[in-house]
Amino acid sequence: MQLGIDIGGTFTDFVFVDDEARTVRTLKVMSTPESPARAVLDGIRHLQRVEHADVVHGSTVATNALLERKGARTAFVTTRGFGDLLTIARQTRGDIYDLFAARPEPIVPPSACFEVTERVDHLGQVLTPLDESDLPNLIERMRSERVESVAVCLLFSFLHAAHEERVADALQGAGFVVSRSSEILPEHREYERASTTVINAYVAPVLERYLAELELHHLGRSFRVMQSNGGSIRSEEARRHAVRTILSGPAGGVVGAVHVARTSGFTQAITFDMGGTSTDVSLSRGRPEVTSEAHVGGLPIRVPVIDIHTIGAGGGSIAYVDAGGALRVGPESAGADPGPACYGRGGSAPTVTDANVVLGRLPPDRFLGGEMQLDATAAHSTLRALAKQAGIGPHSGLDEAQVAALGVVQIANAHMERAVRVISVARGHDPIDFVFVSFGGAGGLHACDLARGLGMKCVLVPSGASTLSAYGMLVADVVKDYVQTIMASGETPREELAMHLDALVEQGRQEVLADGIPAEAVSIERELDIRYSGQAYELTVPFGDGYIDAFHAAHKSRYGHADVDAPVEIVNVRVRAVGSTPTPPMPRTAPADRDVSCARLGLRRVVVDGAEAMAEVYDGDELLPGHRIVGPAIIAQSDTTIFLSEGDVAHIDEFRGVQIEVANQ
Amino acid sequence: MSHDPARIEVFKHLFASVAEEMGVVLRRTAYSPNIKERRDFSCALFDARGGMIAQAAHIPVHLGAMPMSVRACIEALDFSPGDVAILNDPFRGGTHLPDVTLVAPIFLDGGVLLGFAANRAHHADVGGMSPGSMPMSRELYQEGIVIPPAKLFEAGRRNEGLWSLILANVRTPVERAGDLRAQIAANHQGVRRLTALVARYGLDDVTLYMQSLIEYAERMTRRLIADLPDGVYCFRDHLDDDGVDPAHIEIAVAVTIDGDEATVDFTGSSAQRSGNVNAVYPITASATYYVFRALLGLDVPSNSGCHVPITVIAPEGTVVNARFPAAVAGGNVETSQRITDVLLGALAQACPDKIPAASQGTMNNVTIGGWNPARSQPYAYYETVGGGAGAGPDRDGVSGVHSHMTNTMNTPIEALEYAYPLLVRRYDLRRGSGGEGRHRGGDGIRRELEMLHDAHVTLLTDRRTTTPYGLDGGQPGRSGRNLLIRDGREVTLAGKASLDTKRGDVLVVETPGGGGYGRPGEDPE
Repeated sequence: MQLGIDIGGTFTDFVFVDDEARTVRTLKVMSTPESPARAVLDGIRHLQRVEHADVVHGSTVATNALLERKGARTAFVTTRGFGDLLTIARQTRGDIYDLFAARPEPIVPPSACFEVTERVDHLGQVLTPLDESDLPNLIERMRSERVESVAVCLLFSFLHAAHEERVADALQGAGFVVSRSSEILPEHREYERASTTVINAYVAPVLERYLAELELHHLGRSFRVMQSNGGSIRSEEARRHAVRTILSGPAGGVVGAVHVARTSGFTQAITFDMGGTSTDVSLSRGRPEVTSEAHVGGLPIRVPVIDIHTIGAGGGSIAYVDAGGALRVGPESAGADPGPACYGRGGSAPTVTDANVVLGRLPPDRFLGGEMQLDATAAHSTLRALAKQAGIGPHSGLDEAQVAALGVVQIANAHMERAVRVISVARGHDPIDFVFVSFGGAGGLHACDLARGLGMKCVLVPSGASTLSAYGMLVADVVKDYVQTIMASGETPREELAMHLDALVEQGRQEVLADGIPAEAVSIERELDIRYSGQAYELTVPFGDGYIDAFHAAHKSRYGHADVDAPVEIVNVRVRAVGSTPTPPMPRTAPADRDVSCARLGLRRVVVDGAEAMAEVYDGDELLPGHRIVGPAIIAQSDTTIFLSEGDVAHIDEFRGVQIEVANQ
Repeated sequence: MSHDPARIEVFKHLFASVAEEMGVVLRRTAYSPNIKERRDFSCALFDARGGMIAQAAHIPVHLGAMPMSVRACIEALDFSPGDVAILNDPFRGGTHLPDVTLVAPIFLDGGVLLGFAANRAHHADVGGMSPGSMPMSRELYQEGIVIPPAKLFEAGRRNEGLWSLILANVRTPVERAGDLRAQIAANHQGVRRLTALVARYGLDDVTLYMQSLIEYAERMTRRLIADLPDGVYCFRDHLDDDGVDPAHIEIAVAVTIDGDEATVDFTGSSAQRSGNVNAVYPITASATYYVFRALLGLDVPSNSGCHVPITVIAPEGTVVNARFPAAVAGGNVETSQRITDVLLGALAQACPDKIPAASQGTMNNVTIGGWNPARSQPYAYYETVGGGAGAGPDRDGVSGVHSHMTNTMNTPIEALEYAYPLLVRRYDLRRGSGGEGRHRGGDGIRRELEMLHDAHVTLLTDRRTTTPYGLDGGQPGRSGRNLLIRDGREVTLAGKASLDTKRGDVLVVETPGGGGYGRPGEDPE
């Protein structure tokens, strides 16, 4: 039995798979941001028999502590001469045209940055031994600063950890929680390593308190926590490596979407999660692409995370006319409250959602499965006002509100198309080879047009999209990533590299086994980060036969050229230990025994291709496998509304996902 | 034909995305770290007359200079389909020799010229008297190979004579060839994508919105200028010296705001010098556009429309519009910063709430070369060091950061010490170097490099004898200092210097602090 729990900003979602009763149950309760554990315990009370379940949990506790600067009081210790490492960062400013460009608020104030006398060189040799007489004074000053947690990051500690270990021991002995860079991220580049370690120190005590509270209630048989890399880890492990959970929320959604796509027969997917205020896109080739170059709140985090690109455009994005007379959309959003004008909660600004109402694509009586009636009149009048401001008049049979609404939707699409290009074209992938998986509430109205603009052939809107993130936690494997900088020549004997790798492999295997994974379910991936000598960025290739050739080939495919005669350097060794967990089956539905007409709700006037047309509206919750729908049409589901243009053809698959063949432009 | 206010925004995204994708191709396919990691390049799209439509710029100093490169090509060459032009001549469309620009015309079927794709990248070496091509030069010829606008490709065929001539004149021909190929590929991507836009939206719409976007940016710029009070605002400041003659070098400006137009007149600036601090006109124009662009706020497309309401007057033969064959290597990196400082100083009188006090006003260029015994090969290490940013009316200046005309990253210590026989002894802030004020200027940096072997050091730095000004009663930031510690004795070095160092010597670079804002002791509410 398995239980996935995802805490979101508005709802906390549960997906409970009961193998004995052969049921999959989902539950949504309101989140309780002031004390997130309450919503979890609320939900657990509603579900029964969960005490025997393996629980996987994703939470935004660590993320919010970082973004809202509500982490532990943290100090930073580094090598003498480099105490301003966190302030200087990489010497750059965020926006070249901002004359007052400020740095992100530091999470360690300068008064809590300390230096110790010691120095190790790039070969791991000690140039200056650690002066331990610095330590008592350091501890005294930390106490007077009321420090709770300490990050220790000394130069070249990934080659020689003894100095860091001695400092950490002394601080732990004095009662501080300590994060050591040689344990958190033994990888070169001091600023990024320090930043990652400091963030860990900052959020770990907060996550610790939260998880301890949950565990008091013995939620299930085992308790794991989702990581940003798309895998889960034991909760004790998560407490030590809290920084690995920072981006776990969106990671669950991507893992769920990719799993659903694969089950429906698509291995290459671009996921598209359009919500009220923002849109997340990511790319997956068999499994989600992972990056070690993420930033959160302006600070780098070097641990592997699913590569998700976020833009500030969603259903609630507000349209306005700027000083130059151009129509603009976002990044300002009406949010959920007051929300778009059509919500009738006092919002009056025109949003993307209002534009979809005006275009007839969002039937006002079918929103959220009919639970909420939208105010079409309010949507029309706010779009009319926008049209007037922009100097937009009626055009080829459409009134001015419709023309403006069409503009708003085109602009939102142009913005989102640019985001998809960033994660596909800009990374060397042609969108044509991918299925477009849309699972956000606002996405169904835009997915087909976007896919068309990007030259993509197929859109998939999975069923149960609103709890996909919690479902993703259930299908996530136990995954542990390890890295060690070795900075070796390309001519280093294979056996020597294997030795470096073996140390990490052993550690990984033990830790995955400790998670209760049977030995036969553990798999190990060995990788090397290689670069041409003198370059500063590495490519990761598998440690198999001919890894140097594999590097040249990867360089050629990624960068368009390779130089097989040039010397290379092996910068890091990487190990990924994976414990595969049993994947809950996706519930199948028997093929339709009745005609699609039973789901028909009637005809509606919509704007399509710049003109009005009649579109059939279907109740998505009544559609069954085998049903086929030809656009223009609207499929109103309880968690999203799908709009099909002329020529788009939708099929319902056996998992009740909606697969759409997109008409060519 | 009238434009549609929604389509303006849609095409803004489309054109911007083409320029960005050109940048991605350039970064992906380039050989040199300077392009791949420090991102010292820009890509842009132009209409058939050379008007800039969209630009993906990482480096402000490229801002106004790109259109002048394209215009120089249009004037000098007669384009046919499949051509690619190249240039770096500072006196014919370039800025300084390491910045090499490639321009490709975009022809549609039937021979209609739609526009141009162009990109500019900083090459790590273009020959000349010292590795890195940023020498202490006295004339252009010492700085490297000079390439006037010329066709590198004609009707799709490479001009092998020109290609091999260029590569024969640089120190690292393999890397240069790789970077040039990357620049060609980037333009090709621009040509391909713009042609695809015509297929998707039609020629009429694409050309209509090219013009609409230029007019849109012009309207936005005019509105900004109209919001500034009319008047003439004057300011002057100095560069320390040109590395040859110790006299200060004056940059003077008079900014006239008249309705929705601005005239920026540099008359009164010093005559051009024999050292390498001379700026060519495109640099002066770029610095001017940068300042107005920064005042304009975010999210306005960088295109030629922004330049229309602004007239830049820079008398020929001065340090802000040098005459051939002046040495110009430092004009791009140092003089451009001071031009920015004087413009901001002038505009602070017009809109004090929008302008910060002076930032460090230099890039602190440090080049170290020598023999690397660990790798048995020569090395050339180049870095720029951040400093203090000027304080603003409601906040302190940022410490240890690059400002205005540059924004390149530092090299991590743990990467630097692997690559070069150097040991970083210290890299922290110079406390108290920011100017006092109601809000303090940002602090500069103190960076100490120990030579592990004999080496040659070139310093191209400024604000060593002058100081970054404060505003509204704020104190100036402290000047920078360059020192050499040998056998325990400290020797002060000049701001612009070239010297041999011995094993064990320590080079200390202390960068300037930013100016303060408001009288010290006032309550910073």
